[in-house]
Amino acid sequence: MKEIMKKVTALLCVGTMSAVMLAGCGSSAQPAATAEPAAEEPAAEEAAEEPAEEEAAEEEAEPAEEEAAEEASTDEGSTPRNETLYFAGQQWGTINDWNPMSPNSNNAMGQTQKDTARTLIWETLFMYNSMDGKLYGLLGKEYSWNDDMTVLTVKMNPDAHWSDGEPVTADDVAYTYDTHVKYESSTGADYSTYIDSITAKDAETVEIAAKLDGGKAVNPLKVTAYLCNIYVMPKAYLEKVEERNGEDPDKVKQDTMEDLVASGPYLPYMNNDQKVVFIRDDNYWGQAASMWGKLPVPKYIAHTIYKDNAAGQVALQQGEVDVCQQFITDVQKLWLDEDLPISTWYDEAPYGMTATMPSMFFNCEKPGLDQAAVRKAIAMAVDYEQIIASAMSGQSQTFDELPRCIAGPAESDRAYVDIDSLKDLQWKNKDVEGAKALLDEAGITDEDGDGIREYKGENLSFKAECPTGWTDWNASMEIVAAAGKDIGIDISTYFPEANSFYDDMTTCNFDICMWSAPGAGPMSPYSKAMFYFSEEYAKLASNWSGNFGHYMNDDAEKILQQIPLETDEAKLKEYYTELSKIWLEEVPSVALMYRPEQFYSVNESVWTNYPAADSGNNIPPLVCTDGYGIAALYELELAE
Amino acid sequence: MKNTIKQVFHSGKFLVGFIIFVLILAICFIYPVFVTYDPLEMIGAGNFYKPGTYVSQEEAALNEGYTLNMDASESRLATALGVEELEKMQEYLIKYAGIAEKDIDVTDTEAIVELWQQNYNPDMKAKGLTSAKRKAYRRLDASIENAMKSSGVIIAEEDAESGELKEAKTIKGTGYVNTKDIVNKRTFILGTDNFGRDVLTELVAATKVSLRIGLIAGLIATAVGLILGLVAGYVGGVVDNIIMFLTNLFTVIPSFIILILISYSVGTNARGVMMVAFIIGLTSWPWTTRSVRSQVISLRNRDHVNLSKLSGHSMFRIIFTDILPYIASYVVMAMILQISSGILSEAQLSMIGLGPATTKVATLGLMMNWAMQYAAHLNGSWWAYFPVVIVIALISFSLNLMNTGLDQVFNPQLRD
Repeated sequence: MKEIMKKVTALLCVGTMSAVMLAGCGSSAQPAATAEPAAEEPAAEEAAEEPAEEEAAEEEAEPAEEEAAEEASTDEGSTPRNETLYFAGQQWGTINDWNPMSPNSNNAMGQTQKDTARTLIWETLFMYNSMDGKLYGLLGKEYSWNDDMTVLTVKMNPDAHWSDGEPVTADDVAYTYDTHVKYESSTGADYSTYIDSITAKDAETVEIAAKLDGGKAVNPLKVTAYLCNIYVMPKAYLEKVEERNGEDPDKVKQDTMEDLVASGPYLPYMNNDQKVVFIRDDNYWGQAASMWGKLPVPKYIAHTIYKDNAAGQVALQQGEVDVCQQFITDVQKLWLDEDLPISTWYDEAPYGMTATMPSMFFNCEKPGLDQAAVRKAIAMAVDYEQIIASAMSGQSQTFDELPRCIAGPAESDRAYVDIDSLKDLQWKNKDVEGAKALLDEAGITDEDGDGIREYKGENLSFKAECPTGWTDWNASMEIVAAAGKDIGIDISTYFPEANSFYDDMTTCNFDICMWSAPGAGPMSPYSKAMFYFSEEYAKLASNWSGNFGHYMNDDAEKILQQIPLETDEAKLKEYYTELSKIWLEEVPSVALMYRPEQFYSVNESVWTNYPAADSGNNIPPLVCTDGYGIAALYELELAE
Repeated sequence: MKNTIKQVFHSGKFLVGFIIFVLILAICFIYPVFVTYDPLEMIGAGNFYKPGTYVSQEEAALNEGYTLNMDASESRLATALGVEELEKMQEYLIKYAGIAEKDIDVTDTEAIVELWQQNYNPDMKAKGLTSAKRKAYRRLDASIENAMKSSGVIIAEEDAESGELKEAKTIKGTGYVNTKDIVNKRTFILGTDNFGRDVLTELVAATKVSLRIGLIAGLIATAVGLILGLVAGYVGGVVDNIIMFLTNLFTVIPSFIILILISYSVGTNARGVMMVAFIIGLTSWPWTTRSVRSQVISLRNRDHVNLSKLSGHSMFRIIFTDILPYIASYVVMAMILQISSGILSEAQLSMIGLGPATTKVATLGLMMNWAMQYAAHLNGSWWAYFPVVIVIALISFSLNLMNTGLDQVFNPQLRD
C-alpha cells in the first residue's frame, strides 16, 4: 500500500511539474519566436564591428572615440534591406584574397575568371552573352582579327576609368598580361601557349598577337576567349604590389590585394566569416552613355555565408536571399505548394536554361574499362531518365528530347552537329538487354558463376566516385551503380572529400569519375570537344581541363587541331559530327544529364524585374553577376 | 529457469517492450511474404511522391466505366477555387483591373469568375506585379479555364498508317471508374523517397537489416566484453592490468570517433552489412568489460568459488560454472543495451555517409541520409524521414523497456 502511495504521489509530482513546464513553454513560445530576428541582428552588427575595432586599436584612440567609431560602422555594416541584393550559393567561406593571380583564391563572389567572368569588382574587356553567343563590350569597345587571323586588335572604351579616377588604358591590358606571364600564374601558364604578346599600340588600342605555328595561329579561339575571361588590372597598382613583395613570384601571387584599385561597379565593403558585402562605386565609369548609361540599382551586394545548401534554401524561402545559385529539390513546390514569390528561368521543367553536361569519365587505362564494349555496356544500362527525374529533380531535358552529341544542349552549339546522322548510334534509355548482348558478344562473360563478369580472369569491379555532399551527383552515381548490378558489373560508389576527389581526378587515379563539361562560351562547342577528347589535357601532370580518363584517339586529336583554324561552317559541322560519332561509339565518357550553367531561383519579395525566359531583354540567367548576365543589375526594381 | 522466465514475463515493462519488439520483428518477416517487390527498385520517376494509390491513367481512361449521377465537371470549379484563390482573384481585380471593392462579391463564385474572365489580362505589366505573381495569376487563370470546360474529354488514337487522329472515346463528366477494376495500380502507403523507391517496402527491409546489424554488433560487443571482463576479473594481476589498460584506452577515446575512423579507412567497397556490424561491435565493448570485471572481482572470493578451487577444478570450469551464472542476468541486460546502441550507431554512421552501400542494401540510417540530402524536411515530404525516426525510436524504446523490466526482476534492490 505504501508503495502504491509513493508511486501515486511521484506520478502526481511529475504530472504537475510537466504541466507547469508546458504552460511555461506555451506562454513563452510567442515572444521567443518574435525575438529570433532581433537576436540575429546583433550578431551581424558584432561582425561588422570587427574591422572598425582593428582600425581603432591601430590608432590607439581614446575609448570614447573608439565607441563612436564602432557605432558609426555598426550603422554601415547592416545595410538597408531595400538597397541590398542578397545572394546564396556562391561563397562558402571567409574570403582569403582579392588577387586575380592567386592560385588558391576562394573568393567566388568577388572574382571568377571564366568564359562568363564575374565582373562585379574586376572587369574583363568583353562580356560573353550565352543567349546569343556574342561578346558585348565592357572595358573594350570593339575587336577585330586581321585577315590571316594572327593579330587581334581591341579598341578600348575611352570612358573607362579605375576606382581612383585614372583612365583604363591599353597599357594596363598589356601590363596585366605581362604580369601573369612573368609570375607564372595559372592564367599566364595557360594563355602563353596561344598568345605571343599583348602590346599597347596607343592609349586606346591593344594588339594581341597569337602564337604562330607554320604561319598560322595555334588557336585563335583561345585568343578570343582571353577577351571575356581575364580581368584587367591597373598597371600602377600592379607595380605597387610587385614592389611591396620584392617581385617574388609566390608572394606576388599570394598578395591579398585588400587595397585593390579596380574598375567594376562595386568595391569590397566588408567581409568576415558570416557575410560578404560589396558597396556600389558611385563614381563607376559605366554610368557613361557609352556603357550602361546608369549605375546598377542595388547599392549593396551581400552574400551571407551559409553552412550548407539547406540553410541557403531556408533563407531563400524566408526572403532573406534574393538570388540563389543552389540546386533545390522539387523547386516548383516553392511556388505551387507554398505560394512563395519565387521563380526560376522557366516556369515549367527543366526550370533552368541548361548549358552543360555533367559527364561520367571512364579510366581508359584500367583493365576492363580499356574495352569499348565494357564502357558502352555500362553507358547503355544506365537509367538516365531516373537520374534526370530523381537525382536532378526533373531540372534537365531527357536524352530523348535532346539526343546526345558532343555540343551540349545549347541551340547555337547544336547547329554545329548533324544530329540526325547520329540516330543509329544513340542507345535507348536503360537498355539492359542490349548491354548484356554487347558484353556477351565481346566474350566478356561470367565464367565462375559469382554473378560478376570477368575480363581476363579478373572480376569487373569498379568504383564510381564524386565529391561527398554534391547531392545530385552522389545520387547519379548511385543510379549508375544500380545499372552495373543489372548487367553483372560490380560498381560501388565512393564519395571522398572534395580535395581528395580532385587529386584522384586530376591524376587519373580513379575507375569512374564525374565532372561537368564547360558551359557556353566564345569557344563552345570547341571547348566541349577538347574537354572530352584532348590528348594534350591527358598529358598534363595535374589535369583540371578534361579527358580525365586518358582516352587516346589520333583521329579525334587530328580533328581537334583542325577545328580552330577552320572557318567554313559546313566543314566544322562535319568535324563536330565526326567527333560525336567517335564519342558515341567509343564512349570514353558519357553525359549523364543536362544542367544549367548556374542554378537560378529568385525571390521577388524585395526586388523584382529579374531576367526570365519570357522577359525578352536578352539577358542570360547568370545570377545577375556573370558575363552579360550582370546587365540584370541595371534592370532591377524594388518590388513595392 | 522456467520460474525465472515466468517472473520476467510478469514484469509489465518487460512485457510491453517485448511485445513492441516482437511486433516489429513479425512485420519484418511477414510483410515481405505478401509484398514481394524489390525494396531497392526505383519505381517512381521523381522525388518524394505523396502516399496514396497510383492507378494507371491509360487504363482508367480506356476502362468501360460507370455512370454516376454526379457531374464531376460541375464541382470542378468549386474545388479549383478555394478561399485563397478567391482572395487572389479579388486582389487582382482591385489592384490591377481597377474594380471597386464593393463591386466584387467574394461569396458568389460564378460572378467573380465572370468578372475575372472579363478583366484578366495575361500580358498585363504593372508596378508591383512581380513575375512570380504574374505567373501565379496565369496558373490560376489556366485552372479556372480548365474547371470551366464543359464536360467531355475526347480521347483520340493515332492511325498507324496515315498518322491521323481518330476519335476513340469521349469521357463525360458523369463517367466514373471503380478502382477495383483497374489492374495496373500500386499503393505507396508511405509514398516514395528521393530515388522513387517505395518507402514502406524499403523501411521494412531496412529495419530487418538494421536489426541484424544491431544483433551482430551487440553479440560481438558482449562476447568480447564478457570474455575480457571475466579473464581480467578472475585472473587479476598483470593480465588484469593489461586488459584494463586497453579498456581504459578505448574508454577515453570516444568510441564514435574510432568508429568513424575505422569505417572511413575500410572504404565503401568493403563496407557491407557484416563489416559495419563487426566494426560497431569491436568499438563498443569497453563498458561491458569494466562492469563484468568488477562483478567478477566481487564474486571470486566467495566461498563456493574457493571450494571449487580447493577441489582442484580448472579455471575454465570455475569461470563457467561458478561465476558466469551469477552474472548471466546482468550480461543479458547489457547485451540488450548493446543491440540498441548498435542500431543507433548504424543510423549515425549512415547519416554521415559511412554506412553500407546505398544500391546494395537499405538501412534506416541510409534512408535518413538521403532524405536529408534531398531536403525532405524542407519541402514537406515527411513520409521520407518521419517513419524512419519512429521505427528507430520504437526499437530502441522497446529494447530499453525490456532492459528496465529485467533489471526490476533481477536486481534485488529494485525487486518489489
